[in-house]
Amino acid sequence: MRKRILFSIAGMMSTLLAMAEARFPKPDFTSGYEYPDITHGVPMEQFWNILDIVLLVAMMSVVVWAAYKKRSRAVIFSTSILSVGYFGFFRSGCVCSVGSLQNVTLAMTDPDYHLPWYVLLIFLLPIVFALLFGRVFCSGVCPLGALQELINVRNFRLSRAVSSALSMIPWIYLAFTILYAATRSQFLVCRLDPFIGIFRLGGDWGMIIFGVILLIMSVFIGRPFCQYLCPYGALLSVFSSLSWKKLEITQKSCINCALCDKSCPVDAIHQPQSSKTKESRSAGVRRIVLMSALLPLFTAACGILLHQHSDTLSRAHKDVYLYELVMAQQNDPDMEECIEVETFNAMGGNIDELKAKADKVKDDYAFYATLAGCLIGFVIGFKLLKWSLKRSRKTYEIDSARCTMCGKCFNYCPQNLTKK
Amino acid sequence: MDRRDFLRTCGAIFAGGVVLAAGGMLTTKTKGEEGDVFWQIDPFACTQCGRCETDCVLPVSAVKCFHANKVCGYCDLCGGYYRPSVKDLNTAAENQMCPTGAIQRKFVEEPYFEYTIDESLCNGCGKCVKGCTSFGNGSLFLQVLQDLCQQCNECQIARVCPSNAIQRVSYKDAYKLKDHA
Repeated sequence: MRKRILFSIAGMMSTLLAMAEARFPKPDFTSGYEYPDITHGVPMEQFWNILDIVLLVAMMSVVVWAAYKKRSRAVIFSTSILSVGYFGFFRSGCVCSVGSLQNVTLAMTDPDYHLPWYVLLIFLLPIVFALLFGRVFCSGVCPLGALQELINVRNFRLSRAVSSALSMIPWIYLAFTILYAATRSQFLVCRLDPFIGIFRLGGDWGMIIFGVILLIMSVFIGRPFCQYLCPYGALLSVFSSLSWKKLEITQKSCINCALCDKSCPVDAIHQPQSSKTKESRSAGVRRIVLMSALLPLFTAACGILLHQHSDTLSRAHKDVYLYELVMAQQNDPDMEECIEVETFNAMGGNIDELKAKADKVKDDYAFYATLAGCLIGFVIGFKLLKWSLKRSRKTYEIDSARCTMCGKCFNYCPQNLTKK
Repeated sequence: MDRRDFLRTCGAIFAGGVVLAAGGMLTTKTKGEEGDVFWQIDPFACTQCGRCETDCVLPVSAVKCFHANKVCGYCDLCGGYYRPSVKDLNTAAENQMCPTGAIQRKFVEEPYFEYTIDESLCNGCGKCVKGCTSFGNGSLFLQVLQDLCQQCNECQIARVCPSNAIQRVSYKDAYKLKDHA
């Protein structure tokens, strides 16, 4: 006859926590039964992280060699394929340099967070290369950029005004990424990564659809994600514009044929321009002084704007969100209890403690939102200042801040085709 | 050297300095292999809300049910195996708590039954864990299977976990198990 062991009748809630005590005694087997030896799969080893870093440096070096010495798009294109294959599909695109930005921010603001060494290198190495040679990382090493590069066929241009306005988005994205990472709210870049779902062949449908739309766009417009979204690209463009070596379209003299300009997918080639109306020096100086005066004004205005909205923004943090849910529940007891509040109550949540936590988060937000606002304001002011400067050029030149080193212009330049 | 070049050189030196300073400062934040992070569920904080099944980036969640045999009571009427209102204690699908039939039941000796999890079938819904935790010893628990986990920079389940049970752990305790305690 089967012995039946009765259910112990206990309330669901009280048992959630009381798991340590065993309700049923350990069985004393007489048939010589032995406990099964269960092993679980082990995590990916350090080896892969080391290989990531080695390949990162090797591929960036290859791109530098291909762009500066060999002057060959074919080599850069091949590294793009390797990057999409290895960093994209094989390593499923995580951790990437774009995302490492958040780990670094978190490490700077949170003393308890330990930054893995390879994440630090993944963050720093592309910046070091950008400071030396320009955006070699964007060129054929970043899987996000490489994926768009591989399928780009045509490059329809947006008008300069639209393009300039859109180029503010990466900076706003960067500011919010830093804000959310520094306050431990969420990793915005990881959530909004459009291509990770494609690399992993599954995931959040909204993001996959967004990624597919971006990919379809990138057939017709060069690298829409890199140009108008990527926050790490915005950071790299600063270092790239100050780079030690600058890429040249041709090592011979430019014949102003404009073919390179037509070939550039990211609109990174300055056209030659001579100022048609000669401006007096004092007018120019006056404009620069005015723009320089506007710069701190923009910075302060945006800082204050975000500071005033810091409480609204702070709802992105779990603790503040939970606190508001709990308070809403208290004010309206008829409201249906959601899982968060239910769990909070079941675990004997203390509302005062939660309030103290939420207030601390709000204080953090007040500070970091101001900082993020200042960053956005400064960039707006600085861009206006830059656009107000007129500079005459006689030949076609590469704008090293925007150039993603795809190498297309090398093949288009007729001077490169002639023998020395 | 004209003014433009001078400004650019100053900018480059400043940028280089910033990179060096940031790099130096951040190096003190790294901690060798201990700094490596893997996602794990604290089984004692988990409330089996069911979000592990739905919120993982993988089509079938990397969270699976684990079984700590040394905690298990080997009951015949198992709160994790059978639905609460079960009449006959047999292996018929309509009696089972697990929607995918991932729990295997094997007779050991009177009156004990051994339960094992087929991880390839488990979807991490946590229904059995809830049953076992409420009515049994709590030997079934949810945990992140490390060879399936993509080690996302930020775990999407951790974002929505109501009890903040999902945490970063270092390599040496890559598994938080119940029978180790």
